[in-house]
Amino acid sequence: MIEEPYRWVEAIANRREYIEAQLASGSPIAALGYRDGILFLTLGQTRQKIFEIYNRIAMGAIGHPGDIERLRMAAIELASTEGFTRSAADVSLRRLVHYSLSPVMKSAFEQVYGAPYLARMLFAEVGERPEEDLFLRVEYDGEIATSGATFAQARNDFAALSGTRQSRELMESFLQAEHAPDTGFEAALKSALDAWSVGQMALQTGDTKEMPVRTAVEKYRREQLANTGIEAGILERDPSRGIRYRALMDKELRALIHD
Amino acid sequence: MRLDQNFAGTADDFPTLLRRKGLLGPAAIVDPISPVGGLHQRNWEPTEATTILAFKFSGGVLVAGDRRATSGNTVVYDRADKVLEIDRHSIMAIAGVPATAWEMARVLEHSFQYFRRTQLQEMSVDGKVRALSKLLRDNFGFVMQGVGMVVPIFATYDSHPKPEARLYFYDAMGAQFEVTDYAATGSGSPAVRGILYYENNWGAKPLQKLNEDEAVSIALRALDTAAESDTSTGGVDRSGKIYPLIKIVSQDGITTLAETKIAAVFKQTVA
Repeated sequence: MIEEPYRWVEAIANRREYIEAQLASGSPIAALGYRDGILFLTLGQTRQKIFEIYNRIAMGAIGHPGDIERLRMAAIELASTEGFTRSAADVSLRRLVHYSLSPVMKSAFEQVYGAPYLARMLFAEVGERPEEDLFLRVEYDGEIATSGATFAQARNDFAALSGTRQSRELMESFLQAEHAPDTGFEAALKSALDAWSVGQMALQTGDTKEMPVRTAVEKYRREQLANTGIEAGILERDPSRGIRYRALMDKELRALIHD
Repeated sequence: MRLDQNFAGTADDFPTLLRRKGLLGPAAIVDPISPVGGLHQRNWEPTEATTILAFKFSGGVLVAGDRRATSGNTVVYDRADKVLEIDRHSIMAIAGVPATAWEMARVLEHSFQYFRRTQLQEMSVDGKVRALSKLLRDNFGFVMQGVGMVVPIFATYDSHPKPEARLYFYDAMGAQFEVTDYAATGSGSPAVRGILYYENNWGAKPLQKLNEDEAVSIALRALDTAAESDTSTGGVDRSGKIYPLIKIVSQDGITTLAETKIAAVFKQTVA
């Protein structure tokens, strides 16, 4: 294959197409920074998709459960040994993703005789202030997208993950318009549920680029909430506690949703 | 931070993971062939120069420790923390060699978190108690060589099957003993055990019925008594205003008592 670069490019393209098709049905995950922390949210009851990684880091993932599990374990191992040998303050999401996960995922993806990771992940690290929150999305090919400000875009205090690019982009533009970074928990919860609905609607209607109207989103959200469980977790900003992650129960969230 | 590409997805327990990565020394082997009193054992003597105590009272478990760290006859530090929080509901109090004890506490703390994060469930109280026991057992070879003896107390709050405070003490080999009322270890512990036994049986009321102020008062009196005869126990430093460290485990988690509060109880009922 080395002598035949065209075939390598073709193999990579095929592989990309295959993985995208595998991931396309993945239910969206929204992560939003709010005044007192970061909220991760998705709907669905089949298997857990939101996980605690370390004191200030959480992860949401879609993809093959076996691959998610391997990556999740690897991330926890790295963070835990780093936190043990140095200190919890030395465990950083930026290093974890940029220096450890991304290179491994990239080389697994490009070595066409081996199996790639069928997974797409969204990480968040809670900061002392909302401006210090960090969101990183890692793709199956090791590509990293960050919430941080770049020359072309302002900093976002949210991130989205979904089965298709269209779905994710619609969620992002929805959150861009609706989500204020310094909001309270209830407002963040509502934005997260709506963003999830926008993403899920886009998955079901195929490759639409149109933002659904507000009433349609609200109707869809109510319908989905009626027969699907909420999975959510928060990273609390409270600096008096070392461990910031807490899984939220469906029941305690229902009490805060006024439909 | 390097990632193992061939990672198979199985989760070791945390000490095993650390050893696999070369971050924790191997378990010391107890050499049964060396004659008793041989080279390795010549220097062996129980060095657990400190006093820690714990007892159940109406508000949960109170765990207290003096602040003195010694090396032979020398006081090396007078603000040592020997009562360590392991997780939201567990405390390990240590008597023994600080270097080993603090590392054990660190391993233990990370073990519980690691288990919860990888297995997606909280480790049971029995599992936690065993984890500490295993660390002590792994360390016993060093104890026999005269270095690194640790004799801890472990206090926690169990929510299954029924909510209750649980209290354990260990020996240096890792045997665990669950106690119903109180535990004390360290060089000053004989005096403390005497006091707690007396209070529990013939005091104004049994230890389990005490309110928080009464419990703090008894803990301070007990540590001060231990310090009276044991040079390795700091007790209450009246001139330096250094008070023992006192933490309480209850259903709601761990509370560290403020020094001002301890000072107030001390002034009223002990001094």
